[in-house]
Amino acid sequence: MELILQNRTEEKERLRPALEEFARRHRLPPAVLQAADVALEEHVTNVIAYAYKDVAPHEIRIRLALENQSLQIEIEDDGRPYDPLSRPPVDTSVPLEEKPIGGLGIHLIRSLMDEVDYRREAGKNILRMTKRV
Amino acid sequence: MVSGRIDGAGANALEVEVLAAVRAGANPLYVNLAEATFLCSAGIRVLMQYWRQMKNNQRTLLVTRPTPEVLSVLELTGFKDLIVEKA
Repeated sequence: MELILQNRTEEKERLRPALEEFARRHRLPPAVLQAADVALEEHVTNVIAYAYKDVAPHEIRIRLALENQSLQIEIEDDGRPYDPLSRPPVDTSVPLEEKPIGGLGIHLIRSLMDEVDYRREAGKNILRMTKRV
Repeated sequence: MVSGRIDGAGANALEVEVLAAVRAGANPLYVNLAEATFLCSAGIRVLMQYWRQMKNNQRTLLVTRPTPEVLSVLELTGFKDLIVEKA
């Protein structure tokens, strides 16, 4: 399944219904659906907020597939090159008083998914996330 | 009580509610998440921001009754200290 979103915040509302439809068709467990939902929300939010320097419309392509008992999610954008995995890991043991506010989104993606990798290809950022079913 | 999805838009709605409770003088300020089905980092940032603001004023903000989905996100991000057991 491929879903194409414009880089506007309200477009994110189309994610959950598409994900639910895919999950229903492939009988994905609720925990896998929930993990994918959070991961997509986090990454697409960041792309819309930070990837583009101009005000032109851009497409964010989201591909969902089930392969070898794994949910594969690819999110592709044509924004400035950025590898979210280049952020240092978040130390979750830091007390509330001292916790940094940034970096939680990619931390959640890494925590919820079994594998996450990034590549830059033909002027596109592609984040691939895998969750075993 | 905050219900439904605490995504980007939900986090804005959460902030409006929390801010109203802060201004009304609630202490402790309990954020009941029994009906929240989804939490992402935008919502955590709101909780964190007001937890700190409250603490700087010798007050406290606590999360009560998180659903399993919300609890999982709070645990994975190291924010389960925000949770207090309360009926």
